[in-house]
Amino acid sequence: MDLYVPIIVLGVLAFAFAAGSVAMAAVTGPKRWNRAKLEAYECGIEPTPQPVGGGRFPIKYYLTAMLFIVFDIEIIFLYPWAVAFDRLGIFGLVEMVLFILTVLVAYAYIWRRGGLEWD
Amino acid sequence: MIFVLMMAIPLCGALALMAPPARFLPGDAAVRRFGAAISGATLLVAVSALTAFDYGATSTVQLEIDRAWAPAIDLRFHLGVDGISLPLVALTALLTFLCFLYTLKHPPAGGRIRLLTALLLVLEVGLLGTFTALDLILFFVFFEVVLIPMYVVIILWGGPGRRAAAYKFILYTLLGSGLLLAGMLLVGVTAGTLDMTELAARHGSGVTRGVQITAFALMGLGFAVKAPMWPLHTWLPDAHTEAPTVGSVLLAGVLLKMGTYGLIRVALPLAPEGAEFWAPWLGLLAVIGIIYGSLACLAQRDLKRMIAYSSVGHMGFVLLGIATLTPVGVNAALFGNIAHGLITGLLFFLAGAVKDRWGTTDLTALGGGLLGTAPRLASLLTFASIASLGLPGLAGFWGEMLALLGAYRPHADLPRETFVTFMVVAAIGAVLTAAYFLRLLATLTHGRADGVTARRPVTPAPEGSAPPLPEGSAAPAGTEPEASPAHAPAREAAITLPEYAAWTPLIALTLLVGLWPKTLLDVTTAPVRALFGGG
Amino acid sequence: MTSHVSAALAPGGDIPAPHIEYGQIMPILLVLGVAVAGVLVEAFVGRTWRYTVQVPLAFLGLAGGFAWTIVLGLRDETHAVAAEGALGVDGPTLFLQGTILILALVSLLLIADRGTGSFAAQAAALPGSEAEQRTTAAGIIQTEVFPLLMFAVGGMLIFPASNDLLTMFVGLEVMSLPLYLLCGLARRRRLLSQEAAVKYFLLGSFSSAFFLYGIALLYGYAGSVKLGDIAAEAGRDAGSETLLLGGIALLALGLLFKLGAVPFHMWKPDVYQGAPTPITALMASCTLVSAFGAMLRVFFVAFENLTWEWRPAMWGVSIITMIAGAVIAITQTDIKRMLAYSSIAHAGFLLTGVIATSREGLSSTLFYLAAYGFTTVGAFAVVTTVRDAGGEAGHLSRWAGLGKRSPLIAGVFAFFLLAFAGIPLTSGFTGKFAVFKAAVEADATPLVVVGVISSAIAAFFYVRVIVVMFFSEPEADGPTVVVSPATAAAVVLGLAATVVLGVLPQPVLDLAGHAATQMFVR
Repeated sequence: MDLYVPIIVLGVLAFAFAAGSVAMAAVTGPKRWNRAKLEAYECGIEPTPQPVGGGRFPIKYYLTAMLFIVFDIEIIFLYPWAVAFDRLGIFGLVEMVLFILTVLVAYAYIWRRGGLEWD
Repeated sequence: MIFVLMMAIPLCGALALMAPPARFLPGDAAVRRFGAAISGATLLVAVSALTAFDYGATSTVQLEIDRAWAPAIDLRFHLGVDGISLPLVALTALLTFLCFLYTLKHPPAGGRIRLLTALLLVLEVGLLGTFTALDLILFFVFFEVVLIPMYVVIILWGGPGRRAAAYKFILYTLLGSGLLLAGMLLVGVTAGTLDMTELAARHGSGVTRGVQITAFALMGLGFAVKAPMWPLHTWLPDAHTEAPTVGSVLLAGVLLKMGTYGLIRVALPLAPEGAEFWAPWLGLLAVIGIIYGSLACLAQRDLKRMIAYSSVGHMGFVLLGIATLTPVGVNAALFGNIAHGLITGLLFFLAGAVKDRWGTTDLTALGGGLLGTAPRLASLLTFASIASLGLPGLAGFWGEMLALLGAYRPHADLPRETFVTFMVVAAIGAVLTAAYFLRLLATLTHGRADGVTARRPVTPAPEGSAPPLPEGSAAPAGTEPEASPAHAPAREAAITLPEYAAWTPLIALTLLVGLWPKTLLDVTTAPVRALFGGG
Repeated sequence: MTSHVSAALAPGGDIPAPHIEYGQIMPILLVLGVAVAGVLVEAFVGRTWRYTVQVPLAFLGLAGGFAWTIVLGLRDETHAVAAEGALGVDGPTLFLQGTILILALVSLLLIADRGTGSFAAQAAALPGSEAEQRTTAAGIIQTEVFPLLMFAVGGMLIFPASNDLLTMFVGLEVMSLPLYLLCGLARRRRLLSQEAAVKYFLLGSFSSAFFLYGIALLYGYAGSVKLGDIAAEAGRDAGSETLLLGGIALLALGLLFKLGAVPFHMWKPDVYQGAPTPITALMASCTLVSAFGAMLRVFFVAFENLTWEWRPAMWGVSIITMIAGAVIAITQTDIKRMLAYSSIAHAGFLLTGVIATSREGLSSTLFYLAAYGFTTVGAFAVVTTVRDAGGEAGHLSRWAGLGKRSPLIAGVFAFFLLAFAGIPLTSGFTGKFAVFKAAVEADATPLVVVGVISSAIAAFFYVRVIVVMFFSEPEADGPTVVVSPATAAAVVLGLAATVVLGVLPQPVLDLAGHAATQMFVR
C-alpha cells in the first residue's frame, strides 16, 4: 500500500492546486465587461456573420481530407518498400499488394457510392 | 433413489401443468384434484421412505444417492436422510398434501389455481431437496428454489399489502442466502470438500478458528433470516398476514424450519468453534425473540398476524435450544421444529377458515362468542392454542421444556450463568405465550357474540359472486336464492369434509408426539449425539 | 533486438520474411476478409441485392471462423505464439474467440432482422429532415452495417489474442471505431443515438489515449511491448518503478473503460440506451468478452509478478463496480439503461475472477463470460420485440402487464432476469458460483461477501421488473409484441444456453477448464 501514498499525495496536491487557482481567480481578479471581449476572435479581422444553425461545412471537405490522408499514408509505406524491395523479397511484394488492394477497396467504395462527385 | 422419485413426482406434476390448459386438465376442479393426487403420491413415497428407514442406525445417512453433477465446480447430486432430516421430510410431504386436500374445496381467492398448484409443487420440490441434500451447493440450490414460488404465491394471492410483503421477503432472504453462500464457500474451500457428511465427520478440523468464526457468522445470518431470528424477523409477519392460507401453512410449517435445520445441519458441524464463539449471542437474540414475539402478540389485533408473531417466539425457543450446543438442546430444537410445524400449520388453517367464513381476521371485528356461533371451529381453535402455548401432554410442551433444560446445563465451554439467565427470561416468555393465547381465546371464543361472527357467515364463495347483502337491506325477492345458496347458517359455520381431512392428521400427530415424545426423540437423539462427536 | 534490426539493415543482406502461421490466425483473417469483401459488395452490387448478398456473406464468415476455431481447439497443440509473437493462440484465446464468434452470430440474427428495422435508412440524413423522410419512404435498408460488424468482430478477435501491447492497441481500435459508427445508426430516436455515438467516441478516444500512454511508459520500463518481456523485466525487479506503476495504471484504465468498470462506466448507460438494440446486444456480449479477454491476458501474463501492486486497486474497483452497478440500477426507469447498469455490476463480479489470478479464476471467468454473453444477447433480443408506435418501448412503465399480453415473452424475459440475479439452475448461478469460489480460494472472501450482497441488491431491481411485467395492470394502449423468426431464434438460443449452462454446466465448464489448463502462452 505504501506505493500508493505518493500517488494519493500527488492527487490531493493537484486537486488542491486546481481548485485553489479557480477560486483565487474568481475572488481576486477584476471584472470589467465590454462588447469586444464577448466577440469571437478571428485573426484580428472583423468576424463575418455566421450562417444560421452554427455554420455547417459541406461533408465533402471532410471526405476529401480523409482521402488525402489515406493516400498520403499509403505513400509513406510505399516509399521505404520501394527503397528496399529487392531485399524484402517476394514476401514484401505480396504484403504491399495486399496493402494497396485494401486501400483500393476503400477507394472503390467511395467512388461507386458517389463520394467523389462534388454535387 | 427413493428421494429422486420423491422429488421427481411433484416436479413432473409442475411441469405437466405448464401444458396448455385446453389440452391438459381443463377446469380448476380437475387441476385441484391433480394437485392433491400428485402430492398424495409424493406423500406415499415419503411414507415408504419412512418404512424403509432403518431405525436402528439413525445416525448414519441412509437411502443415499451420490452422483456427480458438475465436478468442475464440485457440485454433486448427493441425497440422503438421517434421523435429523427424516421427520422434516415427512412433515413437508404431509403438510403439502394437506394443503392440497384443503384447496380441493377451498380455493384461495385470486383464481389462477393452475399456477398456484404448479408453484406449490415446485415449493415442495425445493423443501424436500433442502432437507435431503448432503452436498453444500446442492443444499444451497434447493434452498434458493423455494424462494421464487413463495414470492409469487405471496404477491399473487396475498392481501392488500402484498407487494411490500413480497419485496421484504425476497430482499431479506436473498441477502441472507447470499451470505450463506459466502460462508459455505469459505468453509468448503478451506476444508477442501463440499460434501456435508464428510465435513460433519471432521468436526471442523483443518479449518482455523478465525475462518470458523467468520463462516459461522455468515451462514448464521443466512439461516437466521429464514428462521427468523430477532431482529431479522420483520419480513415474517407481513408475509404471513398477506399470504393465502396454504401459503401461510407451508411458510410457517416448513419454510421456517429450513433456517433452523440449516443451522443444525450445516452451520454447527461445519464450524463448531465458530458456533462456540457465537452461541451466547445466538442465545441472547433467541431470548429477545421469545420475549419480543410474545409482547408483540399481546399487541396484535389481527389473528393471522398474531400467529405469525407467535412463530417468532417459538422459533426463539428452537434457536435457544441450538445455542446451548448440547444434545439436549439440539434435540429440543428438532422437536420444537416438528411441533411448531404441526401446531402452527393447524393454527393457520383455522385462521384461514375464519377468514373464509367471515371475511376478516381482525379480532375486534370478529368479536367474541365463537364457541356459541361456531362451536366446532372454536373448539379446534382452543385446542390448537393450548397446544401452541405449551400445555404438557401436547406437542408444544416438549420443545420448550427441553430447550429450557438445555439452557440450564449448556455446553461445558459456554458461560453457564449467562445461559441460566437466558433460561429464566425464556421461562417468563413461555408464561407470556400462555398469556396472549389465553387472551385470544378470551376475546374470540368466549364472551358475547358481538362481532361479525354473530351474523351469518359468508360461505367460501366462488370468485365473482356478489358480496353478502347487509342485513335488513331490501333485496329483490327473486335474486335472493341465487346470491346466497340455500344453506342454513349452522351448516355454513360447520366444518366441511376437506377441512376435517386436512386438520385431523395434524391434531392426531400433535397428540401423538405430545403424549409419546419418545417416538420422535428416539429418531433424533443418536444423530444429534453424532453431531457433537459422541457415539 | 536492436542488433538484430541493424544486422538486417546492413547493405546487401536479405531481410528475413516473418513467419506467419496462417492456419492459427485464420479465424481473424477470415472475418476481416469477409469485412473487406463486404465493402466491395457495397461498392459493386446493386441496392436491391445488397441485403441478400451481405447477410449470407457475414453469416458464412462468422460461421466459418467459428468452425475453424473449433478445429484449432480439437488439435492437441493449441499452445503457440503466432505471427512472430504478435498473437498468442492458446486455450483461453480459442475459448474467447469461439465465444465471441458464436455470440456475434446470435447478434447477427438480430442485426439482420428486417422486421424490426433497427437501423436508419441513411445515416447521413439529418434527423427530422426531408432527406430522412425520403430515404425512409424509399425503404432503403442500411447494409453498411454488415461490413462494419465484421470489422468490429475482427478487432474483438485480435484484442484478447494479442501477445504484445501494440497489437492489442490495433485490435482495440479496429474493434472500437466501427462500434462508434454502429452506435449512431438507430432508426428511431436518432438524436439520442447520435449523441450516444459521439459520447462513446469521445470517451473511447480518451481511454485509447490513456491506453497508448500506458504502453509508452511500459515500453520505457521494459524496453519491449511484449507481455512476456514486461513480465520478465518486472520479475528481475529492475528499472524505474515509477514508469512501471504509471504504465500499469494507465493501461488498466484503458481496459477498465472498455469493460465499463466504475469509475470508468459513464458511457455505458448512455451508449447502451442510444445505440440500436441489436448493436447494444453485440456490445454487451462480444465487446465485454473481448475486453475481459485482453484484461485477463495483460494481468495474468505481463503483471503476474506484480499482484501485490495492482491487486489493492483492483479490489477497490471491483467493489465499487459491484455496488455502484447494483445500487444505481435500482433507480433506472428505462429497460436498456437498467440492463446497462446490470452489465456494470456483472463486470464487477467478473473482476473478482481476475483478482483471483489462478487457474480456477481464469476458467471460471471464461465460463462466466460465455454464460453471461448468451443471457444478455437473449435479454436484448427480447427488448427488440416489445414495440410501440415509435419503436421499442423502452420505458419500464410501458412494460406493465406484459405478462398478461404476452406471457411467453414476459416469462422468457423474467427467466433471463433471474439468470442475471444468479438464481440457481440458471447459468447465472453457475457462473457466479464458479467465480466466487475461485475468489474465496484466492483469499478474497471480503470481495465475495460484497459480491453476494450486491447481487442481492441487484436481484431487487430484476424482481421489480418481473413485478411490473406480471403483476401490474396493462395499459390500454400498451406496446405490442412483434416477434420475427430471426429474433425468435436469437431468443431461443439465449434461453437454451441459459438453461443448459445452468442445469448441465459440466461440458462447458470442462471446456473452460481445459482451455485454462496451460494458462496463457507467452
